[in-house]
Amino acid sequence: MSEIEVRHLSKTFTQKDLKVDALSDININIEKGDIYGIIGMSGAGKSTLVRCLNYLERPTDGQVIVRGQEMGALSEKELRQARMKIAMIFQSFNLLQQKNAVENISFPLRIQGTPKKEAKARAKELLRTVGLSDKAKSYPSQLSGGQQQRVAIARALACDPDILLCDEATSALDPQTTDQILDLIKEINESLHLTIVIITHQMSVIQKICNRVAIIENGHLVEEGRVEDIFNHPKSRAARELIFREVHGDPPTLQSPIDEITEGTKIRIVFTANSAFEPVVSNMILKFGQPVNILRANTRNVGGVAKGDMILQLPVDRETRLQMEDYLKERGLEVEEVTT
Amino acid sequence: MDMKTIQLLANGLLETVYMTLVSTALGYLIGLPVGILLTVTDKEGIRPNAFIYRILDVIINIMRSIPFLILLILLIPFTRFLVGKSYGTTATIVPLVVSAAPYIARMVESSLKEVDAGVIEAARSMGASNLTIVFRVLLVEAKTSLITGATITLGTILGYSAMAGTVAGGGLGDIAIQYGYYRWQTDIMLITVALLVILFQIFQMIGMKIASALDHRK
Ligand SMILES: Nc1ncnc2c1ncn2[C@@H]1O[C@H](COP(=O)(O)OP(=O)(O)OP(=O)(O)O)[C@@H](O)[C@H]1O
Ligand SMILES: [Mg+2]
Repeated sequence: MSEIEVRHLSKTFTQKDLKVDALSDININIEKGDIYGIIGMSGAGKSTLVRCLNYLERPTDGQVIVRGQEMGALSEKELRQARMKIAMIFQSFNLLQQKNAVENISFPLRIQGTPKKEAKARAKELLRTVGLSDKAKSYPSQLSGGQQQRVAIARALACDPDILLCDEATSALDPQTTDQILDLIKEINESLHLTIVIITHQMSVIQKICNRVAIIENGHLVEEGRVEDIFNHPKSRAARELIFREVHGDPPTLQSPIDEITEGTKIRIVFTANSAFEPVVSNMILKFGQPVNILRANTRNVGGVAKGDMILQLPVDRETRLQMEDYLKERGLEVEEVTT
Repeated sequence: MDMKTIQLLANGLLETVYMTLVSTALGYLIGLPVGILLTVTDKEGIRPNAFIYRILDVIINIMRSIPFLILLILLIPFTRFLVGKSYGTTATIVPLVVSAAPYIARMVESSLKEVDAGVIEAARSMGASNLTIVFRVLLVEAKTSLITGATITLGTILGYSAMAGTVAGGGLGDIAIQYGYYRWQTDIMLITVALLVILFQIFQMIGMKIASALDHRK
């Protein structure tokens, strides 16, 4: 049994006579302990999808089954009960501005009727977990974005949830703080065996902590699978675009340098664990005695393994080109032609 | 100034304070729930209900469009029915409350609507019921704005209570009319005006102090 099962989920917003199909026939399974990424461009329907998971948004069609329980079959009261075990954090933190850190973290417990003292003790313990013990009495306005998100995470953990939904939880933070928050989320995932769903428009977030990813485009699920697989062999145009945009700045367009160089063939090579540190490209140039252009290069960390990719421009000569591609493949690199 | 005049003014002052505070309090007794209902049933609210919202909206707009002095006269039969007479401080409270309540409802509505939708969403995601959201999120998050609103309301009601004095409503307004207008005792009128100004200042100062003391948004 999957932790979260989404079956044929559709959501249509109707405003006056305007209909917006925010989601169409989405099917995904999220297993217990997954850090599941949902990525897509702005307006793709990510927030709508995650809000359907805890039924903050009622799907127009289809089912959401959380831990074997169909959310649509629950009464209003049962739904509130279910939500207590599905915590959520947000891009804008959404802390109560008039309550300090401890009061904010106590809040979900207090509304469930936990005695004040008990809730406060639990809140202090959670503050320690997120590394903010010294900020117990601070109000959100006195905390940095990263600190506010830590408080929000502590608040989300207050009721011992099974699932943590994160809607662009790091989008308002700088890269360094983003990394820290992602590390914290990963830690929580490991220590509490929480299932985590992460909504983002940044591939880097997915690469850093997710094990699976779903790519949403215009309300459709266009690709789904293990992060490694999708990063190495993106099948859909949307996936390619997300990877390229992230790794190489803007997605290649007609104006980009890649296309200005019309001579030769461009390929993207992806390094795997054992090849990244070997000077494979320079060795290849030496072997073939032919110049190769490195158009762009990038190395990064994917799931704790050193990874990287490059875009190379190979000689026009077809024979040499194919030999070079074989040479690269033999050395454990993923090779694909860049057609965009 | 003789003892009698001082007594008179002190009495007027007390009456004014009494009318203003009691009317505001009673006004909130009606206006606060109505304001909450307006916020909740609004189409962007936590439990939209176009029918209820529309009805309240229309009633409030009608009541707010009647000038206070006319309302005062219009309500005389009703006041007499409630209080037994249509003059004096207690009787004046009736039209004051009737005019304050819709004003307060609007004040409360606008305060509550300032609360960040994200915070409400977060509360819903924690499994909060609508009642919980109203009492533990909306009213708490908006408290500074609500108190500022109450302070402004108090000032307005103070002004209205003085106006009511012109039709034998008691308080400082009554004294100002009686002595300043009918008897040409300008000095007494000036003193009542000064007292009204000071009273207004005190109300504002206390209200704003409380509001900013309770505000944690910096
Ligand atoms: N309450 C609503 N009423 C009408 N349309 C809506 C509503 N909420 C979302 N939409 C529409 O649904 C589509 C998906 O919106 P959604 O917020 O899920 O996108 P998103 O992927 O989260 O985008 P972003 O990255 O900008 O947050 C958009 O076209 C949006 O305009
Ligand atoms: Mg969104």
